Amino acid sequence: MHVEQKVNKAKKAEKKQRRCLAIIKADCNVSQSDSPTLYLAILNVGLSNGLNEEALLAAAAATGGQVSQVLMLPSKSYCFLACTTLNDSQLVYQGMHNRATIGQQGAVAYLSYVLQLPKDIEENGWQQSLPNGLVLLPNFVNETEEAALLQAVAVVGPGSASTADTNLKHRHVKHFGYEFLYGSNNVDPLQPLEQPIPTACDFLWQRLACCEAPALDTPDQLTVNEYEPGQGIPPHVDTHSAFVDPILSLSLQSDVVMDFRRGQEFVHVLLPRRSLLVMSGESRYDWTHGIKPKHIDVIPTPAGSLTTQSRTKRTSLTFRRLRRGPCDCQYPTLCDTRQTTAPRAVTDELATHASHLEQQNVHEVYDKIANHFSDTRHTPWPQVAEFLNSFEPHSVLLDVGCGNGKYLGCNPQLLAIGCDRSLGLLGVSNARARNVFRCDCLQLPVRSGSIDGCISIAVIHHLASGERRLTALRELSRVLRPGGRALVYVWAKDQRRNDNKSAYLRQNKAVNKQRTTEQAQRQKLAQQLERMELDQQQLQVPVPLPVHTNRTEFQQQDVYVPWKTKDEQRTTFLRYYHVFEDQELERLVSQVEDIVLRRSYYDQGNHCVIFEKMPQ
Amino acid sequence: MKLSTYNFLTSMAIKGVKVGYPLKLTINKKDVIESEFNPVFIERLLPKLDWSAVYGAAQVAELAEDIPAAQPENIAEDEQLLQRLHHLLFEIDVLEGQLECPETGRIFPIADGIPNMLLNEDEV
Repeated sequence: MHVEQKVNKAKKAEKKQRRCLAIIKADCNVSQSDSPTLYLAILNVGLSNGLNEEALLAAAAATGGQVSQVLMLPSKSYCFLACTTLNDSQLVYQGMHNRATIGQQGAVAYLSYVLQLPKDIEENGWQQSLPNGLVLLPNFVNETEEAALLQAVAVVGPGSASTADTNLKHRHVKHFGYEFLYGSNNVDPLQPLEQPIPTACDFLWQRLACCEAPALDTPDQLTVNEYEPGQGIPPHVDTHSAFVDPILSLSLQSDVVMDFRRGQEFVHVLLPRRSLLVMSGESRYDWTHGIKPKHIDVIPTPAGSLTTQSRTKRTSLTFRRLRRGPCDCQYPTLCDTRQTTAPRAVTDELATHASHLEQQNVHEVYDKIANHFSDTRHTPWPQVAEFLNSFEPHSVLLDVGCGNGKYLGCNPQLLAIGCDRSLGLLGVSNARARNVFRCDCLQLPVRSGSIDGCISIAVIHHLASGERRLTALRELSRVLRPGGRALVYVWAKDQRRNDNKSAYLRQNKAVNKQRTTEQAQRQKLAQQLERMELDQQQLQVPVPLPVHTNRTEFQQQDVYVPWKTKDEQRTTFLRYYHVFEDQELERLVSQVEDIVLRRSYYDQGNHCVIFEKMPQ
Repeated sequence: MKLSTYNFLTSMAIKGVKVGYPLKLTINKKDVIESEFNPVFIERLLPKLDWSAVYGAAQVAELAEDIPAAQPENIAEDEQLLQRLHHLLFEIDVLEGQLECPETGRIFPIADGIPNMLLNEDEV
């Protein structure tokens, strides 16, 4: 390499390091140190560009320097290491800086000494106390008992019909008593397995009764998990309605670190080999637990610092007792029983307050946001335009819920008439079309059998009961002449198809970047609900419903979707929506007399149907 | 509101009303907006319109002399009539006025060119 090129390369690297340090300073207020410190920043590699803790620790270990703590921040392209002695940190710095090829496609890492670790994040999961209700009993079984237990659960070999033996993507599992069904995350109490929990496990209950542990009914279901190093289990809560409290987990063959999480709180728990973990109360119902898929765990030393430990093969025995009925816990956030019964209550309440709700959270809102709303609605959706162009010239079109009238001039060969509830929007559309009127889509003031084609785009999802949505479809059918066709669009609860996000989701710049587990989403939802309950007392909405976070997936079918005005006040209005499940629109259409469903499809986060009026 | 729109409106959604058609039209203020005459369009549209309401509208719009009380046969050959119908149905814009239910007398006001056909909950 020419000298000049070398100089250029070095200059480039220096520039890059300066830029990284500036970012770190801005993000976490962590400053560079010219002299060696105990803390190192890896400037250009982090979780966001593919580094994992394991690769980082392996690279650090290769330098001969001891690392006491690793700090990887979510969605950051940098991370931090801490050492216990300056000698260690210097070894790591010299061994890794501009040498360790842990970057993307083997790029080298740049390191820098920093004055401290980021303050907010310094608190780690080891400094927390255990979640309430979590009891860890070390040395619960001795090595002889460990061997006997392993033999007892291994007696029925793979392929036998009497236990359920499965290779999951990330681990090997086997069930006794009842099979745990991973599709539904539940058990079928009517289908016990031939093989109950081996009697070799019975001594565990007697021993547990002597400990200071919660009272226990004898478990009747056992799941054996075999984890090879590098395997783990995603964060989850054991389905509330499937099992009673407590849940027991016996760790055999190897230590492992289990992570407990509740909202923003997280706690690492080291499960030593031959220990029994008892999860009850809050820890069983309100916290998720999981094991990261790693080869090396970071664990605390007796001195209070951190060190690393390689995993070996681990077998866990999870003992549970079937619940056989709905869950009665006090922790609604992760409770499947609550999640399934709550919507029914909401549906009833919505039906009772439907017209008031629509008046306040649909009609009044559209009147207030009419101009701004209209400015955002100009391009006709291609498949709607296609439908409009499928009519013979001189056909009569009725656009029910015409909004700003963007479809009225779409096919100029039609006589297009529009109607809407919102006077504000009608003002906009009348300026264009001069053939609009105001009405409710539940009572169209239009002659029966007089219309060749109807469209109703993004309208009936604003109606607050199934019966009203059906009435709206019946009205479309009533005004159609025999052979006339209607196209209906409603918003879909599911904003993805075949892994493709709808245009609505794609416009989300920030939220979708954070990959959240379903549990985390539910946690977030519960927090939102709590917040909403407070807000709603002030807003006095007719029915308390969750407020949807725009540009994210829907968590419920009945929600308030906020509309923020563009003016200086930035007022937020809440529009009521009932977003449709798959096939829900088709089911409604099937209840309308004298029509035939011609086509149903999914278009950019909308469920759509075309139906035709039959001759009478 | 153009008078082509008027042809489709009814008050039949009111509780107890059987036909609710044609609505009694009153025009207090109107505008005339010229538009391109397409005889084929008018001719093909006629079967979809109710002639009694076309004639009724013509009377209110003071064009009764132009429009016969009954729809003539072979209207396609009468381009002059088609032209008058075009004017009546597509060029007159009712800005202020009202529509009245023929059975109950319920008034639906027309303001700024927009008929308000919205009913109260207790009317349906």
